[in-house]
Amino acid sequence: MNRRSFLRTGAVLASGVAALAASLSPLRELKNYTSLEQWTQKYYKELTPAEMAKVLKRIEGEVERQYGLRPHVRDLKPMDGVEFVYCLNLTRCIGCRKCVHACVAENNQSRTPEIQYIRVLRFPHGSLDMEKAEHFYSPDSVPEKGYFYMPVQCQQCKNPPCVKVCPVHATWQEKDGITVIDYDWCIGCRYCEAACPYWARRFNFTQPSIPAERLNLDMAYLGNRPRRQGVMEKCHFCVQRTRAGRYPACLEVCPAGARKFGNVLDPNSEVAYILKNKRVFIQLKEEMGTSPRFFYYFDV
Amino acid sequence: MNGQFKTTAVLTGLVAAFLGLAGAFRSDLWDRTAPVSPIPLVNLSFLSTNTVRTNYADLIRLKADLSDFDCYACHDEKKPPSLRFDTNQNLVIPEEHSDIVMGHGGHNRNNNCFNCHNETNLVLLQTRDGREVKFDYSPPLCGSCHGPTYRDWEAGAHGRTSGYWDRNLGPADRKQCVSCHNPHKPPFPPRPPAPGPHPLRAVVPPTLAQERGP
Repeated sequence: MNRRSFLRTGAVLASGVAALAASLSPLRELKNYTSLEQWTQKYYKELTPAEMAKVLKRIEGEVERQYGLRPHVRDLKPMDGVEFVYCLNLTRCIGCRKCVHACVAENNQSRTPEIQYIRVLRFPHGSLDMEKAEHFYSPDSVPEKGYFYMPVQCQQCKNPPCVKVCPVHATWQEKDGITVIDYDWCIGCRYCEAACPYWARRFNFTQPSIPAERLNLDMAYLGNRPRRQGVMEKCHFCVQRTRAGRYPACLEVCPAGARKFGNVLDPNSEVAYILKNKRVFIQLKEEMGTSPRFFYYFDV
Repeated sequence: MNGQFKTTAVLTGLVAAFLGLAGAFRSDLWDRTAPVSPIPLVNLSFLSTNTVRTNYADLIRLKADLSDFDCYACHDEKKPPSLRFDTNQNLVIPEEHSDIVMGHGGHNRNNNCFNCHNETNLVLLQTRDGREVKFDYSPPLCGSCHGPTYRDWEAGAHGRTSGYWDRNLGPADRKQCVSCHNPHKPPFPPRPPAPGPHPLRAVVPPTLAQERGP
């Protein structure tokens, strides 16, 4: 190799490397990349308590870096002798959608683009035909004459189709009846979204955006900790609240008292009374054989 | 020499391609950062867990100013207030109580003050069969007519509850009838709904389009 060809090749190579670096520059803007700790994290059910503590610390650190606020992240396990059931009184629901937004605030859903776990369907009286249901209704005041309202969220099925289709076991049913998602294990294939007959699952197409002042700092690993782009999420009966003995956020905000929640295995619970004494009319789409733990009932 | 020329050509081509890519990224040819106009945050009033109204029992608990509720500041303690009715036997509400709108039941038969208030002692309520009921705990009065609802309320199936479902871990806050229902006009008042879903692309669904007309 002579001096001339060395210089020429060198110049071409140098500019080649520079050009490659320039063309890869968008990578510099990449935020929220998967950390090595997250990459090497074990499956949720295989984590020892010490490893879990480490994972929770990591998540707290990540949230603090992103939002500037230190959250309290817990890993709450199902309680013994508890099976959760939700009952919703269709006679009382006035369709005000407060539950939708209380859920968003409690569970740190993305505000833009919008992710909501609860959809309130409006039906004309005398029909339960999904084709006639409407969830974009926007009158000046509710309830409207001639309509009734039916909020739909994850039904926490006893026989959940979403769990069956997950190729990586990132979603499963716990013994208190809640179907949970490990956001660190989800690969974002959206099979579960397609399998769910209730359209209860939501996908993060973009990096979720939550204003820091609206962030709920009481978090749970399987519950409301902030999600990443590319993972599924859905209603989990507010595990961060209900597994600590509290009522879900949607129930507490309901102005009409239409929402009832509790342990169906306790014969003195509100839900046990409702299932025993009230006119409980359906499990939604019961012909699907999913056997929801979410019941709709009437007063009369 | 031919081989070296080829190498140089390939490398130059690659450099050009990379530079082209870099230029394209720089000028945002792919519209990577297409700005999404932020969806307005929901009004905090929709997140409030307060009941739709404040009742007398709440005011006592909050140690609020109760001078407006001192019946005997105006009424005579010895003489029960008299009621006046118009020619259709409808109660005439005196000016001093003009803030009260009666509408208890659609039949207009329950608009008599002393169906619930105790006429001989105005700081008490009374059931139709004469039992005295205190203002700070009135559900038994409502329950004396609305039996099935009272039964459901006692079981926790009617009305609002907040706090803890597991009573071993914490208390539950049960709301009374008058926390939500105005006893003079009990039907739940209509209220504005919170904003509906914001889809990425605005669509007017056929059912609404039909309703709104062309």
